[in-house]
Amino acid sequence: MSDGGSVDVRGVVKRYRDTLALDDVTLHVPGGEFVTLLGASGSGKSTLLGVIAGFTEPTSGSVAVDGRDITKVPPYRRGLGMVFQHYALFPHMTVWDNVAFPLRRRRVRGDELRTRVEQALEVVGLGALAKRLPAQLSGGQQQRVALARAIVFRPRVLLMDEPLSALDKRLREQLQLEMKRLHRELGITFVFVTHDQEEALTMSDRIALLRDGRIVQAGTPEELYERPSSRYTAEFLGESNLFPGRDAGTVLVVRPEHLGVLPQGESLPQDHEAYDCDVREVVYLGSGLRVEVELRSGQRVVARTAARGPHVPKPGDSAIVHWHPETSVVVSDDE
Amino acid sequence: MSGMASRRLVRASLGALAVLTGLYLVLPVFIVIPMSFSDSAFLEFPPKAWSWRWYENFLGDETWVSSLVSSVQVGVLVTLCAVVLGTAAALGMIRGRYPLKALVSALVMAPVLVPYVIIGLAVYAVFLDLGLTETLLGFVLVHTALAVPYVVITVSSALMSFDRRLENAAMSLGAGPIVTFARVTLPVILPSVLSGAVFAFVTSFDEVVTSVFLSGPDFTTLPVQMWSGVRVRIDPTVAAVSSMLLLVTLALFAVAGLARLARRVRAGGAKERRSS
Repeated sequence: MSDGGSVDVRGVVKRYRDTLALDDVTLHVPGGEFVTLLGASGSGKSTLLGVIAGFTEPTSGSVAVDGRDITKVPPYRRGLGMVFQHYALFPHMTVWDNVAFPLRRRRVRGDELRTRVEQALEVVGLGALAKRLPAQLSGGQQQRVALARAIVFRPRVLLMDEPLSALDKRLREQLQLEMKRLHRELGITFVFVTHDQEEALTMSDRIALLRDGRIVQAGTPEELYERPSSRYTAEFLGESNLFPGRDAGTVLVVRPEHLGVLPQGESLPQDHEAYDCDVREVVYLGSGLRVEVELRSGQRVVARTAARGPHVPKPGDSAIVHWHPETSVVVSDDE
Repeated sequence: MSGMASRRLVRASLGALAVLTGLYLVLPVFIVIPMSFSDSAFLEFPPKAWSWRWYENFLGDETWVSSLVSSVQVGVLVTLCAVVLGTAAALGMIRGRYPLKALVSALVMAPVLVPYVIIGLAVYAVFLDLGLTETLLGFVLVHTALAVPYVVITVSSALMSFDRRLENAAMSLGAGPIVTFARVTLPVILPSVLSGAVFAFVTSFDEVVTSVFLSGPDFTTLPVQMWSGVRVRIDPTVAAVSSMLLLVTLALFAVAGLARLARRVRAGGAKERRSS
């Protein structure tokens, strides 16, 4: 039994004058899952989060938490935790008062208030900074305070709107791990918004990829990466190579790690598909090589191969790029 | 002439201009304050002998003191009303979505643009019928209308730079609209509300034109008393009162300025600590 609430978005449409920010979005988030809403800017991912949080009223459709319809419930009665992109800490309150804010709204007082605030600060490792003002903290510390403030009242769902995008890479990666840990420890549902596909792949149980106000594909990171349903998904997540499909309106997607590069004249493994090509660039990555080749058609293709072996490609080589058909995916060409 | 030398010349003349402008603005102060300490029975500058007699005269005179009390009463009430109304109006003007918003904003700001004589005359005609001339209520009503725009200006500029995500955050944490305003929005914009309050008080405390229409034997404010003092008999008491008015105004703005400085120092200290 999980402590996380399930979230159900059904047929949500949000129209602003003449733009459709959300176009009939339906999404089921099982209790306790870490779900990421992934998309480019303008895809509607933040609008969708705003609808779940209650800041944005949908034009039509409904939102339910644990089966209870909350479409008409104001945000302050939804009891969902929320972490904002730029932290949104109250500048006139100390760290301690910021974290105590949601508890005071719930009439928690005295020893219980003190214990719970201290616990929440302990969880994010900021116990020593309780008396500081937000302006006296670094970006990473501020985001930890925001996190403590959002979980201190034990919400069953935590919403996060690009919480790490204002931080530098190292800090971001560190906080990604902390959030994963927090998700495990708290057992509550996380709905996380990001435009960073790598972040989505590393953190989520499931990803919903949005484009132009619609969910293009939803599934586990593996499903989205290995079995994209469309060209858009294939290109948005990770690197991909596209070849013309057999049927009109389809393309063949092959990930760089599934491509091999052999010198001209070498015999191909059985059943492999192949194109003649010229090697253009070879970059040593430590874990392997990134080989960029140019097909006869002029198209550029990227392969990742082992750095050692009998045939290490060099720029200028005539070569064959090949793959096993099972590693390729036929998807609809939605570009 | 080299570029460096001409630049220096420009800087020097700009500096001189700044000093002259400053002098032009504060010179009246340097005349009024010494005159108020004169021993002469007439307004005299520079004074030949010094004394406190005009200050004593002011404090010993029933009409002067009662007009001071009236002015303070009006000023305090006007400040309260203008801060509440002006803050609410600013919220409506910045946040509200309704038709004819531009017209509403123009109406709120109108008292600054309409000549005070016209306001005074119009109000006099109506208030006479309503029996509101020479009353505390009458003064408060008129001065509040004059003071509201100043509160609106300072508060709306604070609201424009206010980060509304703070309100969303408060609501996501369980605070309803009223608590959100009281605990988050208001404390953040408070410095601007307070400086609006200072402007409101000073606007009322200094107001002569409309007050002349409303004043009479039953109720008079200090500036009107001064004005009639100058008109009837040239009495250095006026200089003493002016000096005191100046002191009050200066003190109010100094407090507002110091408060702002203290905040900046605190924020600056915060930044230093963060980088260390």
